[in-house]
Amino acid sequence: MTEKQRIGIAEYRVASAPQVLVSYGLGSCVGIVLYDPDLKLGGLAHTLLPERRSGMGEARPGKFVSLAIRQMWQELLELGADPERIVAKICGGAHMFHPPPEDPSRTIGQRNIVTARQTLAELGIELQAEDVGGGLGRTVEFDLASGKVLLRFARGQERTREL
Amino acid sequence: MTFSRLSDLQLDTLRELSNIGMGHAATALSQLLRRGISLHVPNLTVTDISEVPTLLGGAEMVVAGVTLDVLGEARGNILLIFPRESAERLLGALVGQTGLDPLETPLGASTLCEVGNILASAYLTALGQMLQMVLIPSVPRMALDMAGAVVDAVLIELSQSGDLALMLETEFHDNEGGPEPIRGHFFLLPDPETLHVILKTVGEDL
Repeated sequence: MTEKQRIGIAEYRVASAPQVLVSYGLGSCVGIVLYDPDLKLGGLAHTLLPERRSGMGEARPGKFVSLAIRQMWQELLELGADPERIVAKICGGAHMFHPPPEDPSRTIGQRNIVTARQTLAELGIELQAEDVGGGLGRTVEFDLASGKVLLRFARGQERTREL
Repeated sequence: MTFSRLSDLQLDTLRELSNIGMGHAATALSQLLRRGISLHVPNLTVTDISEVPTLLGGAEMVVAGVTLDVLGEARGNILLIFPRESAERLLGALVGQTGLDPLETPLGASTLCEVGNILASAYLTALGQMLQMVLIPSVPRMALDMAGAVVDAVLIELSQSGDLALMLETEFHDNEGGPEPIRGHFFLLPDPETLHVILKTVGEDL
């Protein structure tokens, strides 16, 4: 039984099989999975904000969607991953609080989602699946041996979903 | 202002300010529920934002959260967290049993928001009087979900300026002596600039 590695808010990690990476309770945060299925090598990031803006104090790459994707991508390539093989899955970006905002496209969750899609497109990474937006928190578990990404919910009809 | 560089005296000052504010909030809750409310000594934690959900009892624990922005001369967030069962009991005491899960009804949700509003207003009024500042709570917002998911939106605000969060936390529970008390956690998360303003006002600035 492999111990699960917890990826907390603003953290990311690159790992290989048989490890399991997990981020608990994503709300408006976005979880990003990158995976090279041949090497069973990949990464999970638990990001909080779209991009680093000037004047923002300390910078931790795992905090920002665009930086986290680029850093994980770079680390995967350094470890020998083939850029043509790497695929991505994203989840999260919900809006947790009610009443909802007047303009849903301006929520931090939506901005995180849009930035994730854009950054992946810029790097030419295929976005294989996504489960984003809405109003539910998600726990994401990434099994590097199988490449499976499992989502868990605390509310709603469906409590688990494979991404 | 860097949270990690606060002196012991500054930390004590913040703790005491919060204690007084929370005393007022507990009185308000006590009147609302017509039962005694006990407070724990406030905890002041300077923590990495990635650890906040763990401090709340685990990122996957289901909680009801009410959040309000602090507006006016000082800024920050107030976050009120109830474990799900406590929120249900609190609503049971306020709106009675309806046979439905009170947290899933519009009445329950708006009642919980109103509880948040009353507590935050009492807290901010007391804090504002001490600091001679006008502090206004925004309209409350509510969420029911995993603790991690409920707090991350609040942390996003804070994380714009750094990787650390300063939390003034007070745990409270009712005194009915039953096996299942109503428990909650009240958090004040000031913006870093606001902390500077607060400490300057009380003469404890560096």
